[in-house]
Amino acid sequence: MLASFRAELLKIRKRPATWVLALVWFVLLVLFGYVFTYSFAANPPDPPENQPAAVQQQQEALNEQLLNGLLPENLLENLFTNGTFNLGAAIVLILGAMAAGSEYGWGTLKTSLTQRPSRFGLLAGKALALAVFLVLFVALGLAAGALSSYGVALLEDAAVEWPPLEELAKAAGVGVLTLGVWGFLGFALAMLFRGTALAIGLGLAWALAVENTIALLPIDSDWWESFRRLTLGENTASLGSIFGDPNPAFGIPEPLVEPERAAITLGLYVAIFAALSLFLLLRRDVT
Amino acid sequence: MAATVSREPGREERRPSPLVETHGLTKRYGSRITAVRELDLTVKRGEVYGFLGPNGAGKTTTLRMLLGLIRPTSGEARVLGEKPGSPAGLEKVGALVESPAFYPYLSGRDNLRVMARYSGAPRSRIGEVLDQVELSGRAKDKFKKYSLGMKQRLGVAAALLKDPELLILDEPTNGLDPKGMADMRGLIRRLGRGDRTVLLSSHLLGEVEQICDRIGVISKGSLVAEGSIAELRGRQGLLVRAEPVEEAARIAERLAGVEEVAVADGALRLRTNPDRAAEINAKLVSAGLRVSELRPAGQSLEEAFLELTGGETV
Repeated sequence: MLASFRAELLKIRKRPATWVLALVWFVLLVLFGYVFTYSFAANPPDPPENQPAAVQQQQEALNEQLLNGLLPENLLENLFTNGTFNLGAAIVLILGAMAAGSEYGWGTLKTSLTQRPSRFGLLAGKALALAVFLVLFVALGLAAGALSSYGVALLEDAAVEWPPLEELAKAAGVGVLTLGVWGFLGFALAMLFRGTALAIGLGLAWALAVENTIALLPIDSDWWESFRRLTLGENTASLGSIFGDPNPAFGIPEPLVEPERAAITLGLYVAIFAALSLFLLLRRDVT
Repeated sequence: MAATVSREPGREERRPSPLVETHGLTKRYGSRITAVRELDLTVKRGEVYGFLGPNGAGKTTTLRMLLGLIRPTSGEARVLGEKPGSPAGLEKVGALVESPAFYPYLSGRDNLRVMARYSGAPRSRIGEVLDQVELSGRAKDKFKKYSLGMKQRLGVAAALLKDPELLILDEPTNGLDPKGMADMRGLIRRLGRGDRTVLLSSHLLGEVEQICDRIGVISKGSLVAEGSIAELRGRQGLLVRAEPVEEAARIAERLAGVEEVAVADGALRLRTNPDRAAEINAKLVSAGLRVSELRPAGQSLEEAFLELTGGETV
């Protein structure tokens, strides 16, 4: 397994698409997490002349709230509670799908398997290498957020106060679960469909369209709520709420699941996706 | 430890033992398609075995089963005494199945680095195998920039990383130009020297005839013949062109060791040992006949192949 892990690390590290995804992740997080919000909050449009003073004060308070949320002391709330980190779902889903699915497209699975590794060893090495890169993507996301919030503090001449180390360590764990579940969903889909195209297409459709629709549908019933408690998006959002209440300026609904339960659910999903991938590789012929 | 046999003179002769053995190996896809049917195959240690058959005959499916890539529906196979595809069995097996498949964004050398990590081969082997397939000069180029011939040679290099006892090559000259084919055949001949066993699948008769010691012919999923090229050609004889032909036929019929005489296209076809050509020539000439042609004439491998495969073209 260690030999396969080393081989997989070399492959992912040398693959240009990995670094393109990393760059896109960094830029997305900086733009959507900080630049757009800061631009809006720091440069609000002029209020209409006949706007009541109370509304204007409310608007100013909201802008103040948005700006405060971007400062280093609120780094983890902005990244996790406000859902900024969930932007990475699509990115790591593609990363996971590429890690498993490209082997089928290029026909390299047969080349690798005839070299000696057992199927279990090959898949374990692959999953472990993906996990390492997911951790790196989490670190990159945290770094992007930290850099951006530091930049906002400089621009606003505000004090630079970072969250305590304990909270940062917790954030790393939350980030790994948040990105891990999507990465391994892409990985399992690629194994299921023996390629990247369908896996990425269906994975993105689920992540961007289906999950959001499920979250927004105003169905008031117990079974619907039970179903929502199982969705990936709901659990990642709930886990993110561990760092505080969502900023009301973003209009994010209250989380449905307790953060601890969300962590366990997401961990189980990662294990299920990895087990499904292993089952598929062990059972199927490599043609 | 299994016994080996060497083809090189002066080297230690040991008892041949099968390196690859299959019994009743069968692969079905659904209820209608049988890709390989009850295959009993034996590849002996140290030989270059040609696995010959038309396209779609079941060659690649068989090789994939031997490598553990696909599971047989029934029957069993042993490769170096191990179950196909087990890490222990693959430890001394190198393979190139169908087209060479590598990571297009990696260089030839990096592709071999990946494969060496999988196989546990020492890093020093990479340079050695690149030299062996004469690809060292282009090792830094990306795989996607390689010509087909270079890709095939990289495939062979990857197969050689473990310094394998058994080399399985599936149509290694497919798609190559004549020079590339000649180079590849030369390489396979070199690799097959000594104790290394080569299992070469091909649909090219000439290729198999030039390279292989023994041949198995597969048709519609079944092994229809197995043996040396001479054995597969079967009946050997002489073609004699002499005047007058009727008189020549009468004399030939009386000669000891001539089993059958036939006249076709103004020439005699004698079923006999071709080594008796000089003796037969002397008899005909001493009887006053004019002999204008006398040469060995047997069934060509192509004729034998067509007969065995029921006329299936390659």
